[in-house]
Amino acid sequence: MERKSYSGYSMTLLPWKRAAQKSGPQTSAFEDLALPLLPSLYNVAFWLSRNAADAEDLVQETYLKSLRGFGAFEPGTNFKAWIFRILRNTYLTSRTGLATRNTVALEDELSGGFDSGAALHPESAIDRQTPEMNLIGLGDRAALQAAMEQLPPPLLEVILLCDMEEMKYKDIAVALDVPIGTVMSRIARARAALRESLKASNFLSRGVRA
Amino acid sequence: MSDHLSPALLSSLADAELTPAQRAIAEAHLAECPSCTSSALFHSLLKSATARAGQRYSLPPGFEERLVRTARRESPASEASPPNAALRAAKTFAFAGWAAAIALLLISGSIFVVERNSHRIALESSQTASLATEACDQHLATLAANLPPQVLSSDRHTVKPWFQGKLPFSFNLPENLPDDTKLEGANLTYLHNQPSALLLYSIGKHRASVFVSQKTSANISDGFRAEHSGFHVAGFTSEDLEVVAVSDVDPARLSNLVDLIRQAQSGTLPLKQ
Repeated sequence: MERKSYSGYSMTLLPWKRAAQKSGPQTSAFEDLALPLLPSLYNVAFWLSRNAADAEDLVQETYLKSLRGFGAFEPGTNFKAWIFRILRNTYLTSRTGLATRNTVALEDELSGGFDSGAALHPESAIDRQTPEMNLIGLGDRAALQAAMEQLPPPLLEVILLCDMEEMKYKDIAVALDVPIGTVMSRIARARAALRESLKASNFLSRGVRA
Repeated sequence: MSDHLSPALLSSLADAELTPAQRAIAEAHLAECPSCTSSALFHSLLKSATARAGQRYSLPPGFEERLVRTARRESPASEASPPNAALRAAKTFAFAGWAAAIALLLISGSIFVVERNSHRIALESSQTASLATEACDQHLATLAANLPPQVLSSDRHTVKPWFQGKLPFSFNLPENLPDDTKLEGANLTYLHNQPSALLLYSIGKHRASVFVSQKTSANISDGFRAEHSGFHVAGFTSEDLEVVAVSDVDPARLSNLVDLIRQAQSGTLPLKQ
């Protein structure tokens, strides 16, 4: 077990060592890569921190940390995944991130893998015109945003990176520092949670109208 | 074996993450199963709707400019190679500024030196505060996680070798600690985006986190002391190492631990490439 972690660390740290000894931060190259991502970083930061001031602080700290550590970035790898990883680590060590991390319990694995559909999708539960599909079809953005707000941060961040930032699973795994299987299970759980929230909000609104 | 596609597979299908073989199996199933087809359609609609709904917050006006200014102040060397036309114009302006600064230097060199020193002090102060904040946050996170250390041992001959191959530097641990001070273990962590050793000590009933990093820039001054959110922060720099300790224990006892770690470093050498 320890041998495995030894080789894993060696592969990542030695390139860092080599890069760190190059001449100072290449700020212009960094700006070329980082500035176009600022709107995305801010948007995700706001979703996670839930207020503008914290989002600004989070993005600023991420930007400065990334600039300082830019020597460690390996050209040819995914810069977006790299900087989102720094954003996420910064968030996790912020006061808000610490509070949420300590209050959210998350089961990373779905029961079973690709073959476990029957239990979660009984034939009678799936319909072409489900209430939540009607909501989405009508483009009820407010309902969906409310449902997203209810997601625990580990599910929210994965759905933002996947759907909004259109990142591939392998890049999300890098950004979140989790195995790719965990990314897949979290996305599935996030969508199931959104589906349930939309269903509940639809029932509620129909109840109010009635 | 299930008759229906799992949620994970339906999500992967919507995200175009299936291998060709998995996709062929899924499409064959969808051709025969209306309920899974409906569910696949839902996943696809949900994905595009979430993408639209997620685009909710825009950068505040002027934020990008403020951020870039702040970053360039912190990294003055950055102005050596701006990336685009706007920044080339900024470079020209910067050269003019430098020329003016040189002229001003000829007129009043002493004032320039004083201002440069005050700027450096302000920058160092900002870097020190940033380092203290991150060290405190990690100390809090370690306490809150309440997990056993990655290397669980009070033996310095076990803890130090554990870092071989994991850190691009080496360090020493003090042999003789005060009676109420004990090494509990250590973790590999990152401080200021650099791999660091996080040594976990108990001092009486208090916990102390000691971060040992390779010295790359003057983040802290030698023998620095600070207070952050009620925690005491102490540290030192040697020729090759930067050490920061955080605890809520009495500052004198924390300083004593830091001094012992400093004394143990004599003879420590960085690993050569």
